[in-house]
Amino acid sequence: MVYGPGASGRIGRRATRPWGPVADAHEPTPNLRFALPQGPEVQPHPQPPQKARVYQALLTRRYLTTKVMPLLAIIAVMLCTAMVLIVWSIMGGFLVMLLSAGRTLMGDVAITWPTSGFAYYEDLVARLERDPMVAGAAPAIETGGTLVLPDNRIQNLRIVGIDGPSYAIVTGYDECLWWKPIDKPLPKDQRSADLVELHEGGVIAGRIVSRDENAVRIRVGSSGRGTVREIPMKEIAAIRVGRWGDPRLENHAKWARLHKDGLRLREVDPQTGLERPALVLGIEVTGFNERTLEGYYVPQAFGVRTEAGTIQWRSDFIPESKLLLTVYPQSSVTGRPMDVVTRSLPVANEFKSGVFEIDANTAFIDLGELQRMLRMDAAPRARQARGADRYAVEIDPQTGRERLRATESDEEEMEPARVTTVLVRAKDGITPEQLAARCKEIYAQFEADHAGEVPSAPPLQGTGRPPPGTMIIQTWKQQQGTMVAAVEKEILIVLFILLFISVVASFLILAIFWAMVSEKTRDIGVLRALGASRAGVAWLWLRYGLVIGLVGSILGGVVACAIVWNINPIHDWMGQALGLYLWDPKVYYFTEIPHDVEPRKAAIVLAGGLIFSVLGALIPAVRAARMDPVRALRFE
Amino acid sequence: MSATAVTTRPILAARSVRKTYRLGRVDVPVLRGATLEIQPGEFVAVLGASGSGKSTLLHLLGGLDRPDRPDRNGKGESPEPGENTVVFEDRPLSGLSARDLDRYRSQEVGFVFQFYHLLPELTVLENVLIGAMIRHGRLGYMARAQGAQREAIALLEAFGLGHRLRHRPAELSGGERQRVAIARALVNKPKVLLADEPTGNLDRKTGDAILDALAAHRKQTGRTMVLVTHDGEVAARADRVVHLRDGRVVDGAG
Repeated sequence: MVYGPGASGRIGRRATRPWGPVADAHEPTPNLRFALPQGPEVQPHPQPPQKARVYQALLTRRYLTTKVMPLLAIIAVMLCTAMVLIVWSIMGGFLVMLLSAGRTLMGDVAITWPTSGFAYYEDLVARLERDPMVAGAAPAIETGGTLVLPDNRIQNLRIVGIDGPSYAIVTGYDECLWWKPIDKPLPKDQRSADLVELHEGGVIAGRIVSRDENAVRIRVGSSGRGTVREIPMKEIAAIRVGRWGDPRLENHAKWARLHKDGLRLREVDPQTGLERPALVLGIEVTGFNERTLEGYYVPQAFGVRTEAGTIQWRSDFIPESKLLLTVYPQSSVTGRPMDVVTRSLPVANEFKSGVFEIDANTAFIDLGELQRMLRMDAAPRARQARGADRYAVEIDPQTGRERLRATESDEEEMEPARVTTVLVRAKDGITPEQLAARCKEIYAQFEADHAGEVPSAPPLQGTGRPPPGTMIIQTWKQQQGTMVAAVEKEILIVLFILLFISVVASFLILAIFWAMVSEKTRDIGVLRALGASRAGVAWLWLRYGLVIGLVGSILGGVVACAIVWNINPIHDWMGQALGLYLWDPKVYYFTEIPHDVEPRKAAIVLAGGLIFSVLGALIPAVRAARMDPVRALRFE
Repeated sequence: MSATAVTTRPILAARSVRKTYRLGRVDVPVLRGATLEIQPGEFVAVLGASGSGKSTLLHLLGGLDRPDRPDRNGKGESPEPGENTVVFEDRPLSGLSARDLDRYRSQEVGFVFQFYHLLPELTVLENVLIGAMIRHGRLGYMARAQGAQREAIALLEAFGLGHRLRHRPAELSGGERQRVAIARALVNKPKVLLADEPTGNLDRKTGDAILDALAAHRKQTGRTMVLVTHDGEVAARADRVVHLRDGRVVDGAG
């Protein structure tokens, strides 16, 4: 027989498997004791059968329960997983809130012909509302205008004429109206306060420390650490003790009236008893509503210069004031500006959509009133016949002089009312895209029936920019394209940053595992000497990483859920105990921190924690597998 | 083949094995053609000064290390057929795949080390059982778990450790630890037990007790044993003593 490598290859490896598992019976089990002086005589006692497991599982379990290192690794995974999930949930929740707030006043699809508007919109609305995909349709006019505020400032605004009830069906207008009766304080609003109203305007909120006939001493602010002010009785108009700061919790009859007026955009003139059109302003338009730490609004005092040259302090309640609105009508034919129109209009209510840009720059007005102001209402108007030569001359048979030829169209005719936009809301289960496609079909039919009198329909196919000269039919996402894109990009950026954090976590695991493998070098040598394969040793460490990743991820998920679900109480506690308001409703526009953990996100993050743990364990595992067993055994 | 004619085939043989370690940039030859044949049932002691390469020889015999590859045996020449190889029951270990070599270590030989090398996280019983776990793999072990455990307990009891099954190695004395290590080496019933200075870390009395236990075990089972030591007294307990000097077996023919 010839020996040596290559001579006969791997002898007997596949053919006979000389060292495969064989019947282990070439020797009887020793049942004699080898005499030893040390061992005390102990009766062999029966052992409970141990759970059968492979050595990797046994070692993993023992390493986990006897070492500090894996505990640190688990905590590291837990913290990283929890951090990623918390940031993603809150950040993502915030962006979704922003997006849905931006959508609140938009409906799903808008059919728009800007500037001059289009006629026969009632017919279009009726056609739309007959469609089974449509939950409602509302006409609206969007234009620009100026408002003279109570302190005589002039504010440029987006003026939107709406028919309140139908607009409330199509959008979230009703929920946006701010001044309405509420039964519970806002989630952030957890403290009642004593209020001292002054004659000269203004309210001081705090805790009344003491009061007598002459003065009231009040600790200003609600945190209990404010300074104590003494206010003479004669300056005080009223004292209200233990009141919630949000005025909407009281005087429900008044707020109910304002709510109703806001919905209809009309109010009853207290002097004449007649109904008149009214404005609904964005809550931030005037700047005279102060947003409190608790997230509600209180009227803010402001100074007005009087004719005498002095400053008079006033604290008008905006929905009880009258403001001057100026709009700029345009010729329906040429689009040229005509004489400006100014009206003094009462304010019926204010609204808060949740997007500052909208709430600071928008005023709603009754649609009919705006149509009249912009001369877009149905009215007899002189207009040119289509295609007629407006400068054609003829000879006056009586005088013999030239004169402009009279046409029949010079006679007054009824021009139909116009709007710039029809907003459409989809029924549940219908996507805005499906609805937009349906709206195009409906509009095409509508245009065919009013040929030449309404703007032409856009092509039915294609979702991009409509060709010029056709009706603009867009979903809310397309209208808000820039904002949607920005929000989606921000989510991507957040995810990208989180990916980096995960890589950091992976390196953390790598460092910990590297140290653990170093520490266990000799044990690896022992395992190899006992016949463990390289793959077996690698699997030992990978499995270890897997278990650490699993335990750490699950703990991290639990921690993240516990924190996110209770983020608002935690935040309130931080504010009270440390004076730290990170999410200040005075600054941020939402009163509550988003506190939902999406199961999908949790699953992704947990899986990520697991994957990155295994990745971190991979290199140390390979290192352990590649160790020379002889060197490993000599390792001290 | 070998010039030494013997009546029985050796169970394990090193044939002119060479092993060179690299220390920094210098190649240090440790074994320069050591030849050793071990007959079945024999108790051979390899006696050598520290650094004579006796542990290396044991590692080569146990398949824990491989001899130099041909291109490293000095001048780049290929060895004679049958040279520079370890042969177990007529099969050269150099012809085995990594997987079969793992099996060889697991099933045919058992190692005992000077410093016991028990796994500190495991109990005494688990330290012994881990050999069986490695041998049989997941499913195989699950099927044999009870039998393996019975045998491990019997073995530990035979070595006087029946009352220590649930203890950790750190709670045992040196002699007890070494007896656990021996039980671990024997749990898969290997044909050859390879002991590297098993008494080197123990006092004389404890060391003698270990050797007594090994002798008793051998008397009962007839297991082949190879023991390396620098201690002549320890070596004297073997059937046959070979000397390892300058990387060669000097008087190992007898």
